[in-house]
Order: sequence, then structure tokens, then C-alpha cells
Amino acid sequence: MVGLIVLGVLAAVVIWMVMIYNGLIAARNDVQASWKQIDVQLKRRHDLIPNLVATVKGAMEFEQDTLEKVISARAKAVGASGPHSRAEAENMLTQALGKLFAVMENYPDLKSNKNIMQLQEELTSTENRISFARQLYNDLVANFRTRIEVFPNNIVSSLFSFKPEEYFEAEEAARATPSVNLSLKGK
Amino acid sequence: MPITFIDIERRTNWRIAIFFMVLLCLYAAIGFILTFPSLNGLYQISPRFWLVLLTAALLAAGIHFWFAAYNTVDSVIRGLDARPPDPQDEVHRIFLNIIEELRVVTGGKQKIRCAVIPSLSLNALAAADLKGTALIAITEGLLSRLSRPQIEAVAAHEAHHILSGDCLETTVAASLFGTLSSALERIRTFSQNRIFSLPAFLLAWLLLQLGHLLNMFISREREYRADAASVRMTRNPIALAEALHLLTRSWRGAGFIGSGYEMLCIVNPQASNLDESEGFWSDLFSTHPPIGKRINVLLGMARIRRADLERNTIPMSSSAPSSAKPSYYAMSPSQQWQGPLPLNELALLPWLTPLTWISTSAGGDVLRAWKDPLISLIFGQRLMEGERTLSPYACPSCRQPLITASYEGTIIQQCSFCAGTLVDSDKVPRIIARTGRDQPCSERITALARTVLKENQSRQLYRMRQNSGKANGPLLPCPKCNNPMRRQFYSMSHLIEIDRCGYCGVTWFDQNELQMLQCMIHHRLTAERYIL
Repeated sequence: MVGLIVLGVLAAVVIWMVMIYNGLIAARNDVQASWKQIDVQLKRRHDLIPNLVATVKGAMEFEQDTLEKVISARAKAVGASGPHSRAEAENMLTQALGKLFAVMENYPDLKSNKNIMQLQEELTSTENRISFARQLYNDLVANFRTRIEVFPNNIVSSLFSFKPEEYFEAEEAARATPSVNLSLKGK
Repeated sequence: MPITFIDIERRTNWRIAIFFMVLLCLYAAIGFILTFPSLNGLYQISPRFWLVLLTAALLAAGIHFWFAAYNTVDSVIRGLDARPPDPQDEVHRIFLNIIEELRVVTGGKQKIRCAVIPSLSLNALAAADLKGTALIAITEGLLSRLSRPQIEAVAAHEAHHILSGDCLETTVAASLFGTLSSALERIRTFSQNRIFSLPAFLLAWLLLQLGHLLNMFISREREYRADAASVRMTRNPIALAEALHLLTRSWRGAGFIGSGYEMLCIVNPQASNLDESEGFWSDLFSTHPPIGKRINVLLGMARIRRADLERNTIPMSSSAPSSAKPSYYAMSPSQQWQGPLPLNELALLPWLTPLTWISTSAGGDVLRAWKDPLISLIFGQRLMEGERTLSPYACPSCRQPLITASYEGTIIQQCSFCAGTLVDSDKVPRIIARTGRDQPCSERITALARTVLKENQSRQLYRMRQNSGKANGPLLPCPKCNNPMRRQFYSMSHLIEIDRCGYCGVTWFDQNELQMLQCMIHHRLTAERYIL
């Protein structure tokens, strides 16, 4: 009789642990899937930038410095790996691009060039997508971190050594604006 | 505003179940009343009668519910004659991109269809159905008149309705009761109330008034919540506030967007007094909160954001005494905050107009540029630059002195910022008579006049049906006496909306309106006969 009860309790504990484990796996997969989404959008941005630079180069002779910065920031961003260093490189690129867009306002010729306007629209859209994807990723990471740390999940997570995922950005930068709109301000 | 972007699921709402019960009762009641005369009195009613009646009602309600709620998005698209955006079109391309961005927010879990409504009116709507399709539709007029951040803000507002699930319940309610009652409404108007002699119709009509009671379930809170969520996504409360402000002064599609769809829209197409007032009853029966209050809430948010932003950076303005040299942030035409700029740099901005949003670096309120006395000086200076004669009167929207100019051989007063024109009412016929003397009407103005006439015509037709010819929205003050001017059509055949002051005898034309009026009369573009 006692044996049966012990067996029952053990079975219950195992089932309960399996459920928690599966939940954690699902949460981690969500995080990884959303990281892919950021990846896709970052790649899109990296592909668009050389086009933009090539198109505006002729018209913006006096802004070679700004263009150089964009190009070198892009090169760094393409080479970076791991959430933390990538976030840093991408932030640099965002800032360089923001400056380029601000300078472009001063060139009416560029404004009337349909090709450039289209490129700029695509880049603006990509910027927004990156920031939204980042929001989603960080929300999912926060969710995952909470789930592995709360009791009793922490027993299971330490048993199977689940590691907390990294946020895409440092705290300070995460509080800044997600869209390019406001990022020009405060500089 | 707890909207998490994690795993947003469509909640099947308990309210939808209530809608079904109401529908069931409605059909049961109709069935009972229709069969009652053929019975010989109450004693003949057996349990079998009830069983048959309820089964029939259940069947009817089920079929109605299925047809109304399952594939609503398609019927909304058909009803509004909306088209998918054209990827080759620049403006539509932006809209497509924005929808794609919103899809990223949801983690790609919710597929959102988008559509453009071919109308000059300004409105946007969201719909969702039980099939799982969601739709964001924006009118052509709104797409063309808003800047990119404003479209973003409007689309984000609509996306929140879809994600939070309240779109599904409003869509179901609207299609269950709204479309039916709007069809009945049309029959009633065309038959001029004679239809009421048919008792069955009277009955159906009365029961369908129940549909309006369903507004009780639809709380105004959700509009505030969607506004807040939109700001959370785009971080740009001013863009949304400006978009809403534009909507208050324009045609929102009354008459074009059927009354069945009004609950789905960002602002109620029929600007009703109920919506604009507050209190227990209006909270209970109206679908949208007062727009003015929504704008105030948004602008309130803008100020708080500003203060936050200043705390993050270590700006020079905090170390420098702010009273000595105030610096400003200005919102550029593409809705980006630029700054901080000292006054002399601000004066050099080519796009600075009296209507530009301005805020001081000290984190003060966001103002129109004309309200700031220092910035106002810039405009005064700009006006003095050319050899121009200032008139003693100010533009009703920019509040800057008007310029006296000569047009078609007579003297008019013009605003050099918003291109509006003030004409003494007795000079208007004179100007019209001289149309085409110096230069002919341009193609652009003629085309514009044609579209505006067509749109205003359907709008006026609708107003006459509703027996309320009164236009809503804020009125401009008269430049001479400062009393509100009346907003009216120039005439019943030349449907151009103008602002007129009866006391001083002046007429205010917004940009292009005077030219359009001239064109209309010159080319004999008039409203069709039946409106007269």
C-alpha cells in the first residue's frame, strides 16, 4: 500500500517536471525564433545601405565624413556576433544612419530623386521593423527569464541547466526610443 | 495599458455569446408574434409549439450568425469597395511597409490584411472575423494627407484593436445588427416612412433598434487603450494627436461608410453630439469618446515623454542658464523632433511655419509656433523681408498678419504661410466673373474641383437624408471681429466649403478653394439636379 502511494507521488512529480520542462523549452524556442526575425531585418538593412550610399554619393560631396561613418559602422555590424556586441554595433549604425538622414534634409536635390526617396522609405521601414522585432525579442527574453527563475520552475531549470538568454540591448539604450523619429533628439 | 507582445491570442469573448443569445431571443420573439394570430388563444400553446418555435429560432439565428460573423472581413471589403494597396504606388507602398512592421510586433502570428478605401474622406477602420482574418483599411484621403509617422500611429491604433480581441466582438456586433439596420434605414428613407404601415416591418424595425443598445457593451475605454498602445508602439503621441485633429476638421466619411460600420472606425463617421459629450448616458450609448479629450490625453503624454528624454541625456541646456538663451525643439514636416535649436537657428529653418509644433528645452508644453511670443517675431521679420503691405488682420489659423495682394484685378488679403485667402464677400462675384482673363484654370485645379464637388455632393445628399444640414467641427474665428465664422457651401450647386462672417461681410478660403470655385463656375461644373 505504502509502495503504491510512493509510486503514485513519484509519477506525479515526474509528470509535473515534464510539463515544466516542456513549457521552458517552448519559451526558449520562442526566444530563438524571434532572434531569427531580428536577424532577417538586420540583414535587410545591411543590404540596403550600400545602395543608398552609392546613390547619394554624387550629390553629397561635402558630407564624405558622414558617409564614411555609415560605411564603417555597417562593416562592423556585419562582422559582429553575439547579442551584446551586435547590439552595440547596430546602435552605432543606427546613429550613423540617423545623422545621414538628418543631413540629407539639407539637400533638396535628393528630396526630388525618386530612387533615393524609395530607398529611404525602405530603410525607415526596416529601422522600424528592427525596433519592433527587438521589442518582441526582449519581451520574450524577459518572459523566459521569469519562467526559469520563479519557484518551483527554478528547480527544473537548474536541473537541466537552462541559462538565461541575453537581452538585445543594454538597459540604458533599451529605454531610448524604438523608432528613428525621436532618436535624433537629445544628441 | 497592459498589452504584451508575447503570445497574443484571439480570446473568444463572452460578449460574442451574449450577442448570439440576443439574436436567438429576437428570432424567437419574431416567430412568436408572427404565429400568434393564427392560434386560437393562449391555451393552445403546447410544449410542442415551444419546441418547434425554439428550434426554428435557433436555426434562423445560427444561419444568420454564421453568415454574419464567419466571413465578415470579405463583406466589409466588398461593402466599402476597398482595394488592396498597389505596391507600385509610392503612398500605398508606405502603407504596405507599415502593415509589415506591425506584423513584426505580433511575432508574425496574426496575418493582417490591408486595404485602401477609394474615398476622399478621412477615416480608418479595423475588422476581424471568426475565420481568423483581420483587416486594416484606410481611406485614400487619409493616406494622402497624413505623414508617415501619422499613418504609423493610426495603423498601430487599429492593430491594437485587432490584437486585443475587441475588434472581433465589434465586427461581429456590427455585422449581426448594423448591416441589417442600415438596410432597413435605407428602405425607410426611400419610402418616406410609409413602410411603417406594414406591421411586420414596424416590428422588425423596433427590434433592430435593439442593435443600438449593443453599443452599451462597447466601452469607450478601448479607444483610449488603443491610443495608448499606439503610442507605446510608435513613441510618437503628437503624430496621433495631429492625425485626430485633422480628422475633426474634415469629412469623416458620413454617407460613404455605412452606419453599420461606424463602430469599427477610428472616429465615428457621423460626428454626433452624443459622442462629443460626456456623462453617464453618453458613456453608455456612444461608441467613441470625445476626440478633444483623446487629443488632450495624447498631448499630455507628449510632455511626459519629453521630460523623460531630457533626464536620460546630459544636455548642455541644463548647465547653461535656461533663461538667458532658450532653445527649442521643432517638429519637422516629416514629424521628427529637431533640436535643440537656439532662436536664430530656428529662424533659418525653411519649413518653420506658425503651425509648427514647438517645445522649449525646459520641458514645457508643446505649442503651435504662433503662440510663442519670441518665435512669433520670426514670422513678423519674414513678412517684412519682401516689399509687401501688411494688412491689419491676422490669418485665422496661423495668427500672422495677412498680406495685401492683387488678384484678378482686385485687392485681396492672403496668408503667406498657409496660402489661405480673405476676400470681402462683395468682391467674390467680381473675381469669379474675371476667371480665365489673365490665365486659364490649371489642369490640377480643375481635376481637384471635380473630385471635391463629387465627394461633397454625396456628403450633402447624405446630410439631407438625415435632415441635419449642420456641419460639425471647430469653427475658425473671423479675422475682423473674432466671432466664429459660419462654415457653409458657396451655393447649392457649387459645393465648395467656405468660412463666412455675416457681420463683417468677409469670406475665408482655405488653400486652393478660391481657385477651385472659380474653375467650377468657369467650366460649369455643378452638382447634379437631384440634390437641389
